[in-house]
Amino acid sequence: MKFIIKREELLPALQIVNGVIERRQTLPILSNLMLSAKKDSLILTGTDMEVELITTLNQALGADGETTLPARKLLDICRALPENSDITINVNGDKAQVTSGKSRFTLSTLPAQEYPLVEETEAIVEFEIKQNTFKSLLDKTSFAMAQQDVRYYLNGLLLELDGKKLRAVATDGHRLALCDTDLETNLTEKVQVIVPRKGVLELIRLSQDKDENIKVKISTNHITISWSDLHFTSKLIDGKFPDYTRVIPEEGNAPILADREQLKQSLTRASILSNEKYRGVRILLEKNKLRALAHNPEQEEAEEELEVNYDGSDMEIGFNVSYLLDALGIIKTNQVILTVSDPNSSCLVLPEGESRCKYVVMPMRL
Amino acid sequence: MEKRKIIHIDMDAFYASVEQRDFPEYRGKPLIVGGAPDKRGVVAACSYEARKFGIHSAMPSSRAYRLCPQAIFQRPRFDVYRQVSSQIAEVFKEYTDMIEPLSLDEAYLDVTDSDLHSGSATLIARNIKQDIKAKTGLTASAGVSYNKFLAKIASDMDKPDGLYVIRPEQGAEFIEQLPIGKFYGIGKATEAKMLALDIKSGKDLKLWPREKLVSRFGKAGNYYYDIAQGIDNRPVVSSRIRKSLGTETTFEHDLGDKQHMVTVLNELAVKVAESMQRRNLHAKTLTIKVKYADFTQVTRSLTLEEAFSEVGSITPHLPGLLDKTEAGDKKVRLLGVTASSFLSENEADNQAQIDLL
Repeated sequence: MKFIIKREELLPALQIVNGVIERRQTLPILSNLMLSAKKDSLILTGTDMEVELITTLNQALGADGETTLPARKLLDICRALPENSDITINVNGDKAQVTSGKSRFTLSTLPAQEYPLVEETEAIVEFEIKQNTFKSLLDKTSFAMAQQDVRYYLNGLLLELDGKKLRAVATDGHRLALCDTDLETNLTEKVQVIVPRKGVLELIRLSQDKDENIKVKISTNHITISWSDLHFTSKLIDGKFPDYTRVIPEEGNAPILADREQLKQSLTRASILSNEKYRGVRILLEKNKLRALAHNPEQEEAEEELEVNYDGSDMEIGFNVSYLLDALGIIKTNQVILTVSDPNSSCLVLPEGESRCKYVVMPMRL
Repeated sequence: MEKRKIIHIDMDAFYASVEQRDFPEYRGKPLIVGGAPDKRGVVAACSYEARKFGIHSAMPSSRAYRLCPQAIFQRPRFDVYRQVSSQIAEVFKEYTDMIEPLSLDEAYLDVTDSDLHSGSATLIARNIKQDIKAKTGLTASAGVSYNKFLAKIASDMDKPDGLYVIRPEQGAEFIEQLPIGKFYGIGKATEAKMLALDIKSGKDLKLWPREKLVSRFGKAGNYYYDIAQGIDNRPVVSSRIRKSLGTETTFEHDLGDKQHMVTVLNELAVKVAESMQRRNLHAKTLTIKVKYADFTQVTRSLTLEEAFSEVGSITPHLPGLLDKTEAGDKKVRLLGVTASSFLSENEADNQAQIDLL
């Protein structure tokens, strides 16, 4: 196997594939990437056994074959070579020679047959969606995913399809984010899959704010997302996502309408003097007024006052301020609507005039 | 000492079995759950299919790979193992509260005082195995005997899915025939030393007097001597939960000034708070102890709504508590501050956050 390729073609592909290859590995072959040359195209594959990335380059010249090479080293070499150089990779037995101009490197290879590839399984559903729509769905919800929770099914993002829409839901057991987008599929029954945290973060890294379609294929064990020259596959979490619908409160009849930026800034300031670990902030509601109070173990105090639209009863309710700030940071509308019914029930945070995203935050007892 | 009834429960190829349970595609295949994700990582666990290739836990992953290149390598999912482990712990609790966990997949149980199954430790062990299987879908091996040492060896005799009993009257014979390397606590190095001394089995070890073993092996010699005689009096230690934490001080001269007493209480509170924070404890009850000059003593307590671990949450309550005593009217020779009613770790982490799910 031998091929010649421009550095500028190879480098971006190597960077993408290296994203999933972990530096520290139990299995030597997992620090390698797989190269397959077919006709004039070159296919690069990287995996960590949970997420697999395959990218195709069409600008390679050479003879067919396949092998695996140390991914990190190849990337470092490629990056360090001068711009616009031609890179030749020539595989001979268990060694690969990488040459460019007067530089020559010999790398060890491992047989491509041993590279652990995802086995194709039959799709439950396949659809196309605009890349920017999909990315925004992930951006608006993924922050609420749990991290290393014993409830392993929370360490990921729920994707739910029902034939008419695609819904993303994430929760760590204390707060929840939900976002919908219209999506016509031939499904007649609801399908739920949980994409593991690592896969979600990788997808966000790979997705761009572009208006072009990507293909999504969901099977029992995997989700595959395909761009024109890139395939992403992630294992799914084998578990049942909790019934999130029962924890989303109704929009109340005494909502708080607040300027999002002002509220965010007030809470950010108050949070400076909240307990570093518990991040508790006390919210006091009166007619058209919201006050945020925080104090820390050193008995230092912060008080913020904000004009809002509110016509409900006076109330005092505590929150982990980080949860509120996360939601306020992800919402883009100028105004937000908060609904609180009592100090022990969940608070609904909505972007004003936009019903597709919902955020729920459970209070703290203060 | 009355003969005890000890059960050692050891899950079979625990991590690997969990993986094979959760991923049907791994079943019947050599599966290796890898340790540190590193080129120098080690095998944390492997399936019985992998063991046929000579792979065992703690072996470098690279070596395992050479022995069996077709083996599936899976990174450990400790959160899942922990979850299964707590399910298993729940099973144990149905039978006894004398449980000493050794790791996620291993524990000693002392069922001496159990009336279940007419007090038959063998039947209890069988039922525990069945319950574990029903609850987790995994098999365990049980060893039953009259001390920890023999129970542990017994659980290894009949793996996987084993149940092996060493009765008191069988103990001596069992130990005699046991190859020296099989003794728990005798590793490769000690085994080699023993073999060099021509100690090949329990029978050979039994011939050695205590002093000679101690002079050869140091303190461990005592242990070797005892186990050769079938003596292992180590109790099953269930992890006790600390109930209170406090400190006190006795004065050289009895105190009469209340303000001075408050100062002393504040200093004691600092110590208690520091000590609680080191242990990551959060208490709800605060107690002060006052011993008067006549050696009579009283305690006064207060239970707070919000758990505390910081001195700033303790000191405001101290003068009030002191006012409830006769301190000042009476001279005081000792003062103490104690925190109690600790939150469990889980409660402490989310002491105030309400759950959504």
